[in-house]
Amino acid sequence: MALDYRKCAEEIYSHLGGRENIVQAAHCATRLRLVLADNSKIDKKALENVDGVKGLFESNGQVQLIIGTGTVNKVYDEFLAVTGMSAATKDDVKNAAAAQQPAWKRALKSVGDVFVPILPAIVASGLMMGVVEALGKAIPSFASTDWYAFLDMIANTAFAFLPVIVAVSAARVFGGNIFLGAVIGLMMVHTGLLNGWNVGSEDAINAFFGIDTGVIPTWNLFGNFKIGSYVVGSISRHGYQGHVIPVMIAVWLMCKIEKWLHKKVPEMIDLFVVPITTVFLTALATFVVIGPIFSTLENYVLKGAEWLVQFPPGAMVMGALYPITVVMGLHHMYNVIEAGMLSAGNLNTWMPIATAANFAQFGACLAVGIKCRQAKLKTVAIPSALSASLGITEPAIFGVNFRFMKPFVCGMIGAACGAMFGAITKIGATAYGVTGIPGYLTINNAGIYTVLLLIAGGVAFILTWIVWKEEAPEPTVEEIQKQEALEGAVEGESKIYAPIKGNAISHEEIPDDTFASGVLGAGIGIEPEEGMVYAPYDGVISSTTETMHAVGITGANDMELLIHVGVDTVNMKGDGFELFVKEGDKVKKGQKLIKFDIDKIKKAGYSPTTAVLLTNSDDFADFKVVKTGKVAVGDLVVEA
Amino acid sequence: MKSFDYVITDEVGIHARPAGLLARAVKALGATVTITKGDKSADATRLMALMGMGIKKGDTITVSVEGDNEDAAAEEIEKFFKENL
Repeated sequence: MALDYRKCAEEIYSHLGGRENIVQAAHCATRLRLVLADNSKIDKKALENVDGVKGLFESNGQVQLIIGTGTVNKVYDEFLAVTGMSAATKDDVKNAAAAQQPAWKRALKSVGDVFVPILPAIVASGLMMGVVEALGKAIPSFASTDWYAFLDMIANTAFAFLPVIVAVSAARVFGGNIFLGAVIGLMMVHTGLLNGWNVGSEDAINAFFGIDTGVIPTWNLFGNFKIGSYVVGSISRHGYQGHVIPVMIAVWLMCKIEKWLHKKVPEMIDLFVVPITTVFLTALATFVVIGPIFSTLENYVLKGAEWLVQFPPGAMVMGALYPITVVMGLHHMYNVIEAGMLSAGNLNTWMPIATAANFAQFGACLAVGIKCRQAKLKTVAIPSALSASLGITEPAIFGVNFRFMKPFVCGMIGAACGAMFGAITKIGATAYGVTGIPGYLTINNAGIYTVLLLIAGGVAFILTWIVWKEEAPEPTVEEIQKQEALEGAVEGESKIYAPIKGNAISHEEIPDDTFASGVLGAGIGIEPEEGMVYAPYDGVISSTTETMHAVGITGANDMELLIHVGVDTVNMKGDGFELFVKEGDKVKKGQKLIKFDIDKIKKAGYSPTTAVLLTNSDDFADFKVVKTGKVAVGDLVVEA
Repeated sequence: MKSFDYVITDEVGIHARPAGLLARAVKALGATVTITKGDKSADATRLMALMGMGIKKGDTITVSVEGDNEDAAAEEIEKFFKENL
């Protein structure tokens, strides 16, 4: 069933609280992302029910509608046409949304913005490192080949010079010149400084500086001026390999200085003054203050994080909390820790926790996908689960698990179990940003990793299977009663067969405004030749009237059909009608339902034209009248 | 949520046509309207459910309105009932 993109876009637009409420619109792979002036003005329930919208959630100030890969871009194009807006990039939307956020959230978001764009570099290096190391282990002789040395050099490049990559990315995020940012990053790993990785090794220090004290020499910019034992302006001559936080802070400061100078310095001399001043001030601040303070701080954070993930109860808690940070959009901050671990030359021991969390959401989502019976939910849950198994959990979390809450919680429990196992076994990865199945390429122990996946995914799957029950969308008392009546009754195709012999016309031609307008649903009218109504399909009588002139039948796929004999015949109060069924009766196609007297209807001054309308035809995208003109009882007239 | 009681005055109660008009009016308002009679209740946009309640002249029904701007919506709905039912 193909989606009508235009209709979908129009319906979405109609529930957004008017054109003036829409600030910006963009889309990503699966979602239509909207920034609205006032999120409370939208009709969420109606939006969720728009055909084509698989889910709705609010995140980071945006309203996001899950529409699906390959579809969202088409709906988006129509949406632009409908609203008369111009296309916004994802970044524009993010920025517009960011303006609505509190400062601490903006700061965390910036961290994510710095580390997410550099993922390709990290993943390329990490995967290559994983493969090279795996080959080295599998074929011991490989480790001594030139190929190994060459590939090893390529693979560790991104990590050896990570501060440069971070600096460029940070300069872009914080709005500075990226080349000046690169200079700051390069400066921090300058070959004239002792490599940051060798700070702890006296031999390396002695060899590098040609000394025998084992102490890193300093540059004292202001002589021996001291406050207490601290020498003011003293710079330890080592680089910042293995650090990312000091780099980010340094570049942030650089951007502040640069932007401020651009404003103050006359344009004529801008090029001579701004770059050199920016670099000089930033370098001074970086080596004297930012570097020493934040590299120490980062060491503590990393030590803390490493301790936490190696300490099973700590890992358990982190595993359980991880999905919540995904929902809040804060999970990219972990990249800082992961990047820190990697650039310090260690394995990324955070990755097993992220994998456990992601794979548990996969398990929970898969359970929903297999267990659920609503086709619409299935088509969301199964692909979302697959995507989650590859490490992209947003569709599973937002589209399925978080919506029903129980699967999400089951996923948290699965994540906790998997994360604890990861902490006990102490496995680690050679990259970050790669979890789930692709994680096999970067993990140091595939066997244990498999067990971890099974634990996290399995626990979440089984728990979800047990505790989650599919709920019909807000059942009313009436629907529950109907559901009970329907139990096991109706399955099959959505086909309607002529209930009366006569001349079939489209419902627009019925001589009554209400029926013709389609407000009661789409369908046909029949000018009867015989005064007998037969059941148009197997179903359950869902309503009758005392005046016996109308009957409602619920059939396969929840078709709700109204057969209304004659126009205004309600006024005949049952005279000339005979009803053979009562509410709740199961009927078979062709069974007699109502007998009526055509002549009596005509004599009373009414048209005997009988409306046969699918009252919920809106729910059937493929609704189609397949036959009009002369029909016999049992001819196929409507397919839906 | 806002609700009011209403006594049906229309000779034949809520049959197909008024049910259809009601469904249309409710859809236009964009609010959720639930009709209750005794222990039965139905969403006002669900035609068959509404007709299945068999609401007749003299019956007292409770109409509850939920959604944005429900005060205005409830007024509109009440007006609709007075004019049509």
